[in-house]
Amino acid sequence: MNVVVCHELTKQYGRSKAIQNMTFRIAENKITGLIGRNGAGKTTLLKIIAGYLHHSAGDIQVFSENPFNNLKVSANTIFIDNEMSFSQGLTLKELLETAGSFYPNWNHDLALKLFDYFSFNSNQYHGNLSKGMKSTFNMIVGLAARCPLTIMDEPTSGMDSATRKDFYRALLKEYIAYPRTIILSSHLLDEVEDLLEEVLLIKSGEKCLHLSIDQLKEYAIGVRGKTVNVEKWTEKMEPISVQEIGANMSYAVIRNDRSIKELEDARQLGLEVTPVSAEDIFSYLTSKTKGGIDHVFSRG
Amino acid sequence: MYLAEVKTWDIVKKQYRYKLKSYFGVFTSLIVIQLLAILFSFNGTGSGSGSSNSIQYDFYYYTSDIILIFMMIWAFITAIIITTRAYRYDDFSFVTNRVISQVSNILFLLSSSIFAGITVYLSTNLFQILAFYFKNNYSIIVDSLTVTEFIIGMITSILYIFLFASAGYLVGILIQLHKGFLLIIPTVLFGGLILDGIGGDPRVFENVTMFFGQETSFILFICKIAIVSSLLLLASLGISNRMEVRK
Repeated sequence: MNVVVCHELTKQYGRSKAIQNMTFRIAENKITGLIGRNGAGKTTLLKIIAGYLHHSAGDIQVFSENPFNNLKVSANTIFIDNEMSFSQGLTLKELLETAGSFYPNWNHDLALKLFDYFSFNSNQYHGNLSKGMKSTFNMIVGLAARCPLTIMDEPTSGMDSATRKDFYRALLKEYIAYPRTIILSSHLLDEVEDLLEEVLLIKSGEKCLHLSIDQLKEYAIGVRGKTVNVEKWTEKMEPISVQEIGANMSYAVIRNDRSIKELEDARQLGLEVTPVSAEDIFSYLTSKTKGGIDHVFSRG
Repeated sequence: MYLAEVKTWDIVKKQYRYKLKSYFGVFTSLIVIQLLAILFSFNGTGSGSGSSNSIQYDFYYYTSDIILIFMMIWAFITAIIITTRAYRYDDFSFVTNRVISQVSNILFLLSSSIFAGITVYLSTNLFQILAFYFKNNYSIIVDSLTVTEFIIGMITSILYIFLFASAGYLVGILIQLHKGFLLIIPTVLFGGLILDGIGGDPRVFENVTMFFGQETSFILFICKIAIVSSLLLLASLGISNRMEVRK
């Protein structure tokens, strides 16, 4: 069963399009990473899925219903981000109790254990927490709610590295014990890649790639060698990225669909073929210009 | 994981309970404002004096008018405050949709109006007693209210407070819809007042006050308030149902 189905989804703010013609499906009980650069439209997409925003065109179905203004979607979805707003009149403990009264699958025991583990003070107010503590508290709510669709928009922002590791571990353990559909957005792929099963890569409001994490890891290869040779070899291909890495040396990233003969040719030309990490593939695929940041300085 | 089916009315009740708890500050401000109103009422809300032969007398009305007016303004402002972004976002951290969010807000306003209306009467008694002790000893207190009048008075206060809350709610929603209303609404209100003043023929606002104030039948009065309040609130519901939650 597909939990989220989008077809030609578009969201417009005035004239600028935050989301353009996105078509994808997110299957049940999978951890999907929504990966994109800053401003790629990750948050907008997630808010549309959560039913907070109205889409401009196309179609979106969450649990086979339009999520906007939908109670069923609201009851089965939780959207966690660092702008989450909680009442100033209730203490953290009371907030957990209130959340428990709203979400039917809420696990209060887990919430309290996590609450103690991260040494929260039950008489504190949400507004007085630091940024990292807020994210941690929101994460506790998100995990304990056990919603069939759990959406987390950059959940680790502001957390220190120890808390991050704890969070990812807690997320994984919870997911294994109670499988649910999780959409996790992040701009740091290397941090979440061990956790994800699928990756939805978006670039300036458009879907770039949607594949499993294993496929993404093998998506591209890098070749390094003399600029002349690299150019000669990649002549008939469309490199994802070409960089100069020193005097007459170049590094090109190409799709991993070359024949054995072509790879043999590369070796003959003295090119070094290397795998490319998922994080690097992501940054090459989503960079706005082919040359990268070096171009800015080389032209000056 | 199975999908939970929830009933609208259950969630309305939960949101309402959540609001009663979390908007507690509203009631604190109510008490502060009432104390202030009592202070203002201390000189009596109306007075007169007279004499005949050897008797000279002053009389003062100690009524709840000022307290009621303060409560009406309080209700208006409270209603605007709960439509603001921070309060709206709070609902959506938990289960809700726009209608539920609005209905629970309206229920909250209704119950705080009832609370305010009752406390108007209680605080009236308080300040009448205070006035008796602080004024000179020769006072004769006349309490002219019968039980029915007392109840009718209380219900009327509640209805007036709720009317203002409904108006404030619509104003708040309009401002949330477009910030332009922040300018338009005061301009229309004060502009209207000024125009009435310039023309020397105050019609608009007088008609509005007469519509409610001159009504002698209690049942008709209840109907009028109920109809106007529900129109205001339905308009708010209609508008907010199309609003996006978070940008």
